[in-house]
Amino acid sequence: MELVDRYLHAVKFWLPRAEKDDIIAELSEDLRSQIEEKEAKLGHKLSDADVEPILKRCGSPMAVAGRYLPQQSLIGPALFPIYRVVIRGLFLYFLLPWFLFWMGIAIFSPDFRADHPGVALFASLDPWWRACIWSLFINTLIFAMLDRSKARRHLVNDWNPRSLPAVRDKNSISRGGTIFELTVVVATLATWIQLDAFRRVFHIFGTTITLSSRWPYCFWALVVVTVAGIYVSCLNLSNPRWTRLSASLRLGIDCYSFALFYWLFRADMLQSLSVSGVSFAEAATFVRSFNHWMAGSAIWVLVVGAIVVFFDVRRILRVGR
Amino acid sequence: MNSDERFENLRQELRRGSLPLAVLAALRTEHYGYTLRKTLAEHGMAIDEGTLYPLLRRLETQGLLVSQWREEDKRNKRFYRLSPDGKLILKQLLAEWKSIHASLENIF
Repeated sequence: MELVDRYLHAVKFWLPRAEKDDIIAELSEDLRSQIEEKEAKLGHKLSDADVEPILKRCGSPMAVAGRYLPQQSLIGPALFPIYRVVIRGLFLYFLLPWFLFWMGIAIFSPDFRADHPGVALFASLDPWWRACIWSLFINTLIFAMLDRSKARRHLVNDWNPRSLPAVRDKNSISRGGTIFELTVVVATLATWIQLDAFRRVFHIFGTTITLSSRWPYCFWALVVVTVAGIYVSCLNLSNPRWTRLSASLRLGIDCYSFALFYWLFRADMLQSLSVSGVSFAEAATFVRSFNHWMAGSAIWVLVVGAIVVFFDVRRILRVGR
Repeated sequence: MNSDERFENLRQELRRGSLPLAVLAALRTEHYGYTLRKTLAEHGMAIDEGTLYPLLRRLETQGLLVSQWREEDKRNKRFYRLSPDGKLILKQLLAEWKSIHASLENIF
């Protein structure tokens, strides 16, 4: 019977103080009745090995004790859906972008890696971990407090069907937005063509800017992407709903554009600068700094591009459903 | 989750809802926990001790059962029976049960 006593002692630990003895006496009586009945059937005393399955069937001590306790939760079912949305939003729109940004810098910035060698690289993620733990803790605390306050009743009971948000068609495209996009793209293209922007040398306000020999290729690549953008905008204007075709075209154009800009940022596009009153050496230093700054900023193009592509792919999946 | 597990979960859910009625009905005659479990099992409503005793406690707190510790066969046992409120509730629950049964029969 030592096994039964140990079991009952373990159950007792988790029970409310006022009811401990009463519950244990009743449970003990039941278990001993079961054992006696089995002993009478088998004609001998039960060993620990025989008692073990009886106790296992009864359930783990914590689970058995838990059934005597009132049902408790830190955040009840009324507020839990809101809590879930907040935590998900926090992760998707704050913690995940932060982490991706850190990863982008860690992978693509040699300066950053040089400043944080070895383990220090991972230690640089320390503020992110802190933000994770603190934001999770504070949100949980706020919701747990809300769940125990009068505000919960207000949130759950005081609602009106008329105040619910209108159903939004996620696949519809705003005509106003498309017209604005079309206007901007056409105006940009017209300005570029008017300025003969495919040239390499520009004279602006007494300054002569010479671009790299790669610029004309880049220019025509930009023209191609702009024309494709105009085509998609026209398509969206004639049928203001995302289709698999228009969503896929948008993804293709965005991938192409961000790849092109990434290359543009890293291509040392500014070759030389000539400004009256500025020495050649000073201008050359400025050109070097500018190209270096552009190359360093290329990571941002990738980060923004990754976010845009993520939403584009999500749109294609949504349209496909 | 396979179909057996799905069925088992739904079966347990269905039986869990009927347990208070079965326990109240069985306690028209006085029982202590172990014999109550045996009676229910004999009638096809097997229930484990971890479920029965918390349920008995809840029904007693609601005033539907009365209990008493008594010695029997040289052992202390807690005997349960229906209270007057319990008898009334049992009558109402049985009527509700029959109504649900009739509705389901109609649907089937």
